Order: sequence, then C-alpha cells, then structure tokens
Amino acid sequence: MILSGWESVFFWIFSIAAIFAGLLTVMARNTIHSALFLISSLVSVAALFILLQAEFIAGVQILVYVGGVMVLFLFVIMLVNVGSEERGNEEIFNRPRQVTASVIFCGLLVAVLIGALNTGYAGFERRDEAKLQASAAARSTRDQDLATSATGASRITNDTSRIGNSLYRFASLPFEIASVLLLVAIIGSVMLARTLKQEASVDDVDPEVLRKEAAIDPELAEVQSEPAA
Amino acid sequence: MFTPFIPAFALLFQEAGRFAVAWQKAEHPDLSKFLIIGALLFIIGVAGVLTRRNIIVIFMSIELILNAANLNFVAMSRYLQDTGNVNAVAGQIFTVFVIVVAAAEAAIGLGIVIALYRNKETILIDEIDILKW
Repeated sequence: MILSGWESVFFWIFSIAAIFAGLLTVMARNTIHSALFLISSLVSVAALFILLQAEFIAGVQILVYVGGVMVLFLFVIMLVNVGSEERGNEEIFNRPRQVTASVIFCGLLVAVLIGALNTGYAGFERRDEAKLQASAAARSTRDQDLATSATGASRITNDTSRIGNSLYRFASLPFEIASVLLLVAIIGSVMLARTLKQEASVDDVDPEVLRKEAAIDPELAEVQSEPAA
Repeated sequence: MFTPFIPAFALLFQEAGRFAVAWQKAEHPDLSKFLIIGALLFIIGVAGVLTRRNIIVIFMSIELILNAANLNFVAMSRYLQDTGNVNAVAGQIFTVFVIVVAAAEAAIGLGIVIALYRNKETILIDEIDILKW
C-alpha cells in the first residue's frame, strides 16, 4: 500500500485538513463552530478512506456521521445553547493546571506513539517487502478485470459486495446484536429526553414525586387529572 | 534535578531526527503515515476530552477518537489485503460496527445532556457535581 502521484498529494491535503479541523473542533469557542469543524474533519477522513479503497466505509461515514449523528449534535446544541460561552463570559477550558497537565500528557503521547509507529512499521516493511511489491503489480492487473462504469471513464469497485459477503458470512451475529443495540438506544434516548409532564401524562411517575411537583407547577396537576386514554 | 527527564528529552530529539528522514519519504505515503494521522487525531480527541468544560464538545471529541480508530482499522485492512491475507475485509467490518455503536452512543449521550440541562440548567461539567459530597 504505497500511494504515489496525485494520490499522495490528496493524502497530504486531506490528512492536514483532518488534523487542523480536529484541532479547531477542540479549540473553537462557539459550540456550533466546533460541530461544523468536526463535520469537515469527518469528511476529510472519509476522503482518506477513499484513498484506502474503502469506498463503502467512506459512504457510510458521510451518511451516518455527517448526515445523522452531526445533525443530532446540532439539534441538541440549539436546544441547550447557553450563550455565555460564546459571548466570552465563560472560560471554555478547565482550570490552567488541569490543562497544562493534560497538554503535557498529550505531548508525551505524541512523541511515544510516533516513535513506536515508525520503529514498528520498519519491522513490518522488512518482513513484507516482497509481498508488497508483488501486490502492487498484481493490483494493477486485477483492476483491469473490474467492470467499467456507464461512461467508460472509470471502473466500478467491488468493495461493497466484498464487505457484504464478509459481513453476513463472518459477522452475522454481531450484525443482529447491533440492531438490538440501536433499538435499545432509540428507546433509551426517548425515555431520557421526556419531560416530567410527558411522564405524568402516561402515568409513569411516582405519585409521591408527582404530588410534590404539582404543588410547585399547577399545570402538572391538570395533566394528572385527565383520564388516561 | 532534571536527571530523570534526560531519557525523555533524548527520545524527543531522536524522534525529531527520524521525522527529518520521514519527510523525505513523504511523497510516497504508506501504512505508517495513515497510522500516524490516526494517532494524531486520537490525541487531539483525548486533549479535547481532558481540557474542555462543555459536555457537548467532549462528546464531539469522543467522536474524533472513534474516527481515529476507524482510520487505523481501514488502513490496516488495506495493508493486510496487500500482503495477501484471506479475510482482510474484517477491518472494514469492524469499522461498520464502530460507526453503529458511535451513533447509539451519541443518541443516548445527547438524551442524557438534554435531561441534565432540564434539571441543572447547565452543560459545563465542573458545575455538574451532584455525585460529589
């Protein structure tokens, strides 16, 4: 897997974009700006996935992360926006000592990780050098076997079908568990986000608590007095 | 008094020298470059979790961490495809599951944030200290 030519140019563009957008996500004062920078970081990583010939993952990344999760984030930011951070009245980071400690920790982590990755990869390279060169040659001939697209300008990859095959052959049980997990997440988030009024209207509150709260908020008592459907 | 730190400084300088060599290989990025980008994204996410006060930004930093892990998975999967491993797509399947779990986690976490904001009127983590006594 050695990129060259335009691939390496795009690699550097998108990796630098991903890292800078990530940094700005952490440092932006406005939470909405943070979310938008995170979106651009995720899109850059999706482009890196395409360079790694994982087109399906890149598509899923954009559809699920950018289209789903980040929109959810933006909705929640707008629901709970406090505003004092953006106006500059609030400190956005923790106390200076905590920030110093964690930045030092992260700096050490950078040094150690990059050193370890370089030495570790040198070993990989020594072991697999012949295989890597053979596969670079084999890949160009194998790509010729793929079907051409309708315009004939490019070739259609079989990445998605390979993932589908592997997913159902080797990971069908985790796939089913994932669907249960998503169901639980939906039910859980609906339960968590209900207000006391909504809970009272379906008669799902401890009567003791409800009596106490109804004394403060008369609207709750009305909800309670309505007959349950 | 700085004696215990000398090995760490020596390591840093050694890494700086290695970085200069790596720059010459930059026009042909390989697996190690992708792993380094993943490591940097991971560390940015960790720094965000450790330093920010806003709980929503902390959630976004967690997404960044998961995304760095995804990048490592996909890069390794591509490397294994090139070295002739039979089931090399496994890394990409892991990535699909990581994305699923991240979506579930975001939904639950943001539900908790909304419930918390309704009760405490704040999303700054140092003001949410009900468990502390």
